[in-house]
Amino acid sequence: MVSAQMDTLSTRGRAARFLASGLGFALLLAGTVWGHDDDFPFGPFRMYAGSNPPNDPAPDTRVEGVDRTGAVVSLDEGGTGIRRAEIEGQQGRYAGDPALLREVAAAYTERHPSAPDLVEVRIVIRWHEVRAGRPTGKYADETVLRWRAP
Amino acid sequence: MASAVTGLGRWLTEPVPRGRVAAFRTLVYLFAAADLVVFSPWVRSHGAIPGELYQPLLVGRMLPLPTPTPLLVEFVFWTLLAASLAAATGRAPRALGWTVFLLYFEWMIIAMSYGKVDHDRFAYLVALAVLPTAGRARHGDATRTEAGGWALRMTQIAVVCTYFLAAWAKLRFGGLGWMTGSVLARAIIRRGTDLADVIAQVPYLLIAAQIGIIAFELLSPLIFVLRGRWRLAAVGFFYSFHLVTIATITISFAPHLLAITSFLPLERLRPVHRIQRALSSRRHGRPPTPAAVGALDQMPVVGRPAGP
Repeated sequence: MVSAQMDTLSTRGRAARFLASGLGFALLLAGTVWGHDDDFPFGPFRMYAGSNPPNDPAPDTRVEGVDRTGAVVSLDEGGTGIRRAEIEGQQGRYAGDPALLREVAAAYTERHPSAPDLVEVRIVIRWHEVRAGRPTGKYADETVLRWRAP
Repeated sequence: MASAVTGLGRWLTEPVPRGRVAAFRTLVYLFAAADLVVFSPWVRSHGAIPGELYQPLLVGRMLPLPTPTPLLVEFVFWTLLAASLAAATGRAPRALGWTVFLLYFEWMIIAMSYGKVDHDRFAYLVALAVLPTAGRARHGDATRTEAGGWALRMTQIAVVCTYFLAAWAKLRFGGLGWMTGSVLARAIIRRGTDLADVIAQVPYLLIAAQIGIIAFELLSPLIFVLRGRWRLAAVGFFYSFHLVTIATITISFAPHLLAITSFLPLERLRPVHRIQRALSSRRHGRPPTPAAVGALDQMPVVGRPAGP
């Protein structure tokens, strides 16, 4: 059973909605064709949109710290509140100014005030071997950036 | 031409029962609260990250929004939590709806301004933006509403755009080679489950899956030509796609999953009403009358629903 009652839109209400629909769609389409992540929320849906040849090694990034006792500490999301993809997203900035990694150390200290101070922060990439689009299980670690406390 | 425009206009505002708008509204705002504490708790930790790592997005620079501080993040967290729970009751849909939208949008700027932008919640943001315009709606009300129909249609279009335009982005950034490349292998290495490790060992399966993903995303707009059972089946397929994604590469897309409910005849759920009815029939020691059951079922289960 469907009720005979209905709320209809006024001409103005209808026109405003069509205008909003058209504008939103145009922005989203433009963002997809020409935009970048910076244009959020109208940027392109580019998660996992990059392409790599079937035999390119795959990077698995992590951030590590060394505290003054010499222990290696994992500076992952739980350690610093910074997501791995956020480290990778700003990797160019860190490369241009490795001293910026001290901010990662600061984020760790903020969350672990009683832990020993960090004397080193490094970004390590584990390169996994890929053949024909499949991981082979072999890998090699590469430290791409390093900051040492002065 | 004129009739096509009229037809498009009618389709964009195809009326739905107010009860569906009420149910969708409650779900969307309850999710906002759940997102804060369960699905995306990492956003809150951005308050304690040094401001030097804040890289505001275009909208954050234009407005301009302040660099997050612990105080700002805690303020947005608690006011958004309170506002979304209040909005879930359906009261003051306009005032509370816009409040939740603005706070959640700021929450997203805080989330996405540290070097990583997620694409799992465009349709959910659209739902938050259009719900304040959908008008008052009581649970179970069969009165049909065009304003509510437009709100649900916009969310549905945003859901489909998320798929279709994601395929476009893959072709733009990855090219045709995306389909035969190693993107899934990479995703599995970075965040794969044990199940994914097993799947990855099957020759060419990941490449076949990549071709399947592009095909699915490009064909997703077809859901709008499907009716009744077939449309529900398509919604089921959307969910199963995400189920596999969660089970293999642990990407949940939770806000998007919520937005997909805009395709469903949600007015039929009425959990609170059902519990009340069950309790009262137990108290009176007799089963509910057929009239009471009929009042629940104002819409056909499947078949052609009155709205989107």
